[in-house]
Amino acid sequence: MANLTLRLGAREVAVRTDEGGRVTIDDHGYTVTTISPGVYLVSDDEQRWRVAVADAGDTRWVSVNGQVALVEIDTGQSRAPRRKSAHAGAMTAPMPATVVKILVEPGQTVVEGATVLVLEAMKMELPIRAPRAGVVKSIGCSQGELVQPGVVLVELEHG
Amino acid sequence: MIRRLLIANRGEIALRIIRACRELGIETVAVHSDPDAHAPHVLAADRAVRLGPAPPRESYLNVAALLDAARATDADAVHPGYGFLSERAAFARACEEAGVIFVGPPATAIERMGAKVGARQLMDAAGVPVVPGEAPSDQSDWALAAAASRVGFPVLIKPSAGGGGIGMKVVRERDEVADAVSQARREAQAAFGDGTLYVERLVERPRHVEVQVFADTHGNAVHLFERECSVQRRHQKMIEESPSEALSPVLRARMGEAAVAAARAAGYRNAGTVEFLLEGSGDRARFYFLEMNTRLQVEHPVTELVVGVDLVHAQLRVASGEPLPWTQASLTQRGHAIECRIYAEDPAQGFLPQAGPLLLYREPRGPGIRVDSGVVEGGEISVHYDPMIAKLIVWGETREAARRRAVEALREYHILGVRTNIPFLLTLLDHPRFIEAAVDTGFLDREGDALRALMPVDVPAAALAAAAAHEVVRGAALPGRQSASAVDPFLSLAGWRG
Repeated sequence: MANLTLRLGAREVAVRTDEGGRVTIDDHGYTVTTISPGVYLVSDDEQRWRVAVADAGDTRWVSVNGQVALVEIDTGQSRAPRRKSAHAGAMTAPMPATVVKILVEPGQTVVEGATVLVLEAMKMELPIRAPRAGVVKSIGCSQGELVQPGVVLVELEHG
Repeated sequence: MIRRLLIANRGEIALRIIRACRELGIETVAVHSDPDAHAPHVLAADRAVRLGPAPPRESYLNVAALLDAARATDADAVHPGYGFLSERAAFARACEEAGVIFVGPPATAIERMGAKVGARQLMDAAGVPVVPGEAPSDQSDWALAAAASRVGFPVLIKPSAGGGGIGMKVVRERDEVADAVSQARREAQAAFGDGTLYVERLVERPRHVEVQVFADTHGNAVHLFERECSVQRRHQKMIEESPSEALSPVLRARMGEAAVAAARAAGYRNAGTVEFLLEGSGDRARFYFLEMNTRLQVEHPVTELVVGVDLVHAQLRVASGEPLPWTQASLTQRGHAIECRIYAEDPAQGFLPQAGPLLLYREPRGPGIRVDSGVVEGGEISVHYDPMIAKLIVWGETREAARRRAVEALREYHILGVRTNIPFLLTLLDHPRFIEAAVDTGFLDREGDALRALMPVDVPAAALAAAAAHEVVRGAALPGRQSASAVDPFLSLAGWRG
């Protein structure tokens, strides 16, 4: 038997797993068997679902009937330290992209919504805007650089 | 017959062409950029040549590198696929001059159909209906405004060069013309280096119906019926189907004849598509020439399934000098086919393109289901190229049978690691307007937000049960297990199943 906590958006769900592929969520029982690696048949007394699951760090991608969701998993035993989430003054890359233009410099005051830099990915320009007013504390990328998602591009501090 | 073909493309279309070559006994040469060195199309070909770094202009658009690759591998023909260099007359000409067969139309035909104003005049002269409009040789604001008044409002101001909706302006009233003209001219100049404009009557709520044509070097030209591609978002097609529910047999025959006339007027050879705007439906509908795509189309499998032909085989035969494998009388439509383009994009975030690893990738299978893809599980969707992952093409006896087959296939299409438009496609396929085949080209741009709001938000709790079970299978939640990779999922599951 093992207890897990899963997070789906703002929702937190306690899950118990038992022998025989039994999984209990909110007193509701499911039986899970493997169809192929990463793809499972989930059944309760009335219905069956075919669900695919894949790992990305502490996140599990799941898909069922064409719907996809990201589930955060907490096993109760901290395996890897959680990635430090960027604080409110940090602007991060939403996807792998090339830095086309940097429009600010350290020390510069910016207003909320000001475009601080422009990324380009898949033939599309993507302006990155200041989430609030502040002073540019640091710039974590250079023009022409290929940046990965989550990388802090520009950090703001309160002016 | 062509002996060795270089495929100047990547992804699903390169694989599609490689398969056709194998079936015909033609050797294949793949080309690739650095990040594509181990891409599926490279691994599938008989030989592979590196072109250059990731950016397309240094790799897949690099004409000199492609011709060098053809020479170095002693290839006697080049297939451009779609996109990249497929509609660059200069590339077709460079191949011709290098003594390499270009699997496509002659450079002159690409040029003729590439200049919009010239193509319009050519079609008009050949008796192909064009949208009423004027292309004044006097390009002054005054002359364009006068032309707009003669055509009658509302009008569309369009650049002669280019496409993709860039520089196109809808003008509903006379006093809006001056602003629209200067803006369109500026945008066209910036995008295409040519600010020439023309004026057309605005066709309101048109359908996009295109006709597949094919011509050989022996004077034969046929059409292979229509595809309807009205489901598009900002000129990007999302779903294509054949036949079109909007065509009566009489109209279908007239459009087919017009498309063949268009191909003949252009001096066309090989596979091409004549795009029409359709106003209204049934026998009273009117159709107008929009443009000609001088290449194999993304959506060509729709025609292959309904007509029962292999367009790439035919391309290779015709490029080798053989006559067309069909006569017009031998071609018929049977059943209904629907293609859904699967894009790496997040419909919940304004269709923002996505890049990342394909952590899990399982295609649907079954009767009447075809998936043309150029990716594998464990591969990567790159930021450098088009975000199209695959095309799902289904065939059914009726439109409704095909629609349901598409829905079921999408429901069992598992793609994890990047967001895709599958949830949006499912919402669209179940929408009453799609079920009734009552969609015009502006539908998605008008109703897209409403459709997105219809996408289900929550996954069933069963998905969480699977995620939890997955933890047990990979051993992460079992005491004493440190590394997931040390656990054989089948072994642990066998014990776990009880």
